[in-house]
Amino acid sequence: MTDMTSYPVPPKPRHTTFYSRNKLVITPLLFIAPAFAMFSLFVIYPIIQSISLSFYEWQGIGPKKWVGFNNYDLLFKDPVFWKALVNNIYWLVLFLLAPVLGLIIALFLNQKVFGIRLVKSLFFFPFVVSQIVVGLVFTWFYDPAFGLIAALIEPLGLKLPSILASEDWATFGVIIAGLWPQTAYCMILYLTGLNSVNPEMIEAARLDGARGWRLLVNIVLPQLRAATFIAIVVTVIGALRSFDLVAIMTEGGPYNSSNVLAFYMYDNAIFRYRMGYAASIATILFLIMDVYIVWFLMRLLKNEKGSR
Amino acid sequence: MAEIKLSNVRKSFGPVDVIKGIDLQADHGEFVVFVGPSGCGKSTLLRMICGLEGISSGQLLIGGEDMSSVEASDRGTAMVFQSYALYPHMTVAQNMSFGLRMAKIPKIEIDARVNKAAEILQIKHLLERKPKEMSGGQRQRVAIGRAIVREPKVFLFDEPLSNLDAELRVQMRVELSRLHHEIGATMIYVTHDQVEAMTMADKIVVLRDGLVEQIGSPLELYTRPDNKFVAGFIGSPHMNFMDAEAVHIDDGFASVAVIGAADRLITVPLRPDALVHKGQKVSVGIRPEHLLGTVGRSDLEVHVGVVENLGGMAYAYCTSKSGQEVILKSESEAPPRFGTTVTAELNDNYCHLFDSEGKTLSESAGAVRRQDAAA
Ligand SMILES: Nc1ncnc2c1ncn2[C@@H]1O[C@H](COP(=O)(O)OP(=O)(O)O)[C@@H](O)[C@H]1O
Ligand SMILES: [Mg+2]
Repeated sequence: MTDMTSYPVPPKPRHTTFYSRNKLVITPLLFIAPAFAMFSLFVIYPIIQSISLSFYEWQGIGPKKWVGFNNYDLLFKDPVFWKALVNNIYWLVLFLLAPVLGLIIALFLNQKVFGIRLVKSLFFFPFVVSQIVVGLVFTWFYDPAFGLIAALIEPLGLKLPSILASEDWATFGVIIAGLWPQTAYCMILYLTGLNSVNPEMIEAARLDGARGWRLLVNIVLPQLRAATFIAIVVTVIGALRSFDLVAIMTEGGPYNSSNVLAFYMYDNAIFRYRMGYAASIATILFLIMDVYIVWFLMRLLKNEKGSR
Repeated sequence: MAEIKLSNVRKSFGPVDVIKGIDLQADHGEFVVFVGPSGCGKSTLLRMICGLEGISSGQLLIGGEDMSSVEASDRGTAMVFQSYALYPHMTVAQNMSFGLRMAKIPKIEIDARVNKAAEILQIKHLLERKPKEMSGGQRQRVAIGRAIVREPKVFLFDEPLSNLDAELRVQMRVELSRLHHEIGATMIYVTHDQVEAMTMADKIVVLRDGLVEQIGSPLELYTRPDNKFVAGFIGSPHMNFMDAEAVHIDDGFASVAVIGAADRLITVPLRPDALVHKGQKVSVGIRPEHLLGTVGRSDLEVHVGVVENLGGMAYAYCTSKSGQEVILKSESEAPPRFGTTVTAELNDNYCHLFDSEGKTLSESAGAVRRQDAAA
């Protein structure tokens, strides 16, 4: 019988490779490497390149000329830049309606009524449709001559102004078009969240006397915190990088009244060959997003710690 | 007073009838258990009582008051769910006090009630925890605490212990019984575990397919089942049923011959309203503990299959010559051995007789004797 008090003989060290000894360190690195390489090549490198480009004057071809902060100087004196920035803030604020509307629609759709599946799929629809199509559809809606809205209000004796041609209204016309798919997106997030709410818990709350608004605020919304967080994050990013709808519906016009930073950057780079100037706009947009992304990451890390 | 009375209560979901006309009464302070196979409508019935589900037709009275137009939160009932249904974002104290806060009860009183309930359930040290930081048993206590603080007239439990492990289940079972004695409120308790039903109930309601099969005390159901379904459902392992034929009817007694043991007639007293004729196919029911008596008489020969020895007793799963499954109970010291053939003695006094529809024909002599002893 083996003597329990004697120490076990350590096994003779067998021949080991460097890899087998450091498996736990190397394997994850190997897995991360391809993604990291791609990310560096297509994201990080262009960011650095853009930032450095913003200190040059460059037409896209030919020599680059170092101009220091000159591009930024021009930018801060450029009324179009300020207009675009203000418009981006409009986008940001109004886009926050999307999570609210999405929640309301999700609550409405989260019922067991005959035909609700069909209604649900109709609400999913704008999310599936490309932004280009959304832009075109809304452009037609707004058309003062033969558009849907004009046709609807005509019997009331009202005449629709040309929204997208108006300096005051064009931005809001585009934002409303953007809200449509964004709301659908938030609604999907909330529907998924609602799906995971334990129905017995809602019943328990009903027995506890919580109804309507109080039920929503005290019981349902706290369960939807994760969905709300994601919805707001995605919406804010969507508002800051709004581009396609502006390009399709107004091209920033009339007179830059509906311009946004992303489109102004594109405009400068592609049509005016002011690469350095465009790069400085991109850098500013990047900085604005950074503030927000840092906040986002901090929240995320905090939440992850909380859930351990 | 909080007695509950259901008269001809029905419930349908669309075209599907789930509850098909139930009459039932739970007296004040009574512990009533609903048992029945899964899907028979126990939960639905409970939810109708507390108002989470509407009543399609019939009447529900709680404390003599018609409940048809009373909101779920105003019925004076509190429900404990199988999934506990705690609010995950609230602490234990907040979970327990939520209903009281909704009812705008003064904070001092809320605190007092929460503290008292926490003391009864021994969860005072958990009051500041969130549900996810607790074990299943602790969560169940909180769920019960949430019901207690509302000081309801009627407690409703929907399979509250089925998510707990076996040991905890036994412990909580005892505690719930204790709680019932302490609080004295009417309790309705749904389970499909018939040990819970037998041990906790003042009154058991056996449901099947939306209908009441029998209502009675645990012992009544055990010794004097009204039909084959109740006989088979109450008791674990279940009652043995053997095909038999009536060979002799005389003066309120029937003698039947079990297939495979034709030369041994079983004689049982009949119920006054039972109609049996000679040659009728019947079913003899006998519980495993009444099967293996003294050996050696020419009773039912059975072939022993699997034997489960539980330490205190042993169950042998056997087959008779005619292929009927029979479970025998025996002492654990000398259980029948696998593969042997033994003689199962049928004790006439504990045999039940059922007709082909499952209706009970016999007056179980065992039950009669027990009643005599009690008198
Ligand atoms: N909301 C509902 N809609 C349709 N059918 C239901 C609904 N709730 C329960 N049922 C049906 O009613 C029957 C009884 O259910 P239930 O009361 O939950 O049974 P159990 O006795 O297992 O608790 C089941 O067949 C179930 O499918
Ligand atoms: Mg159930």
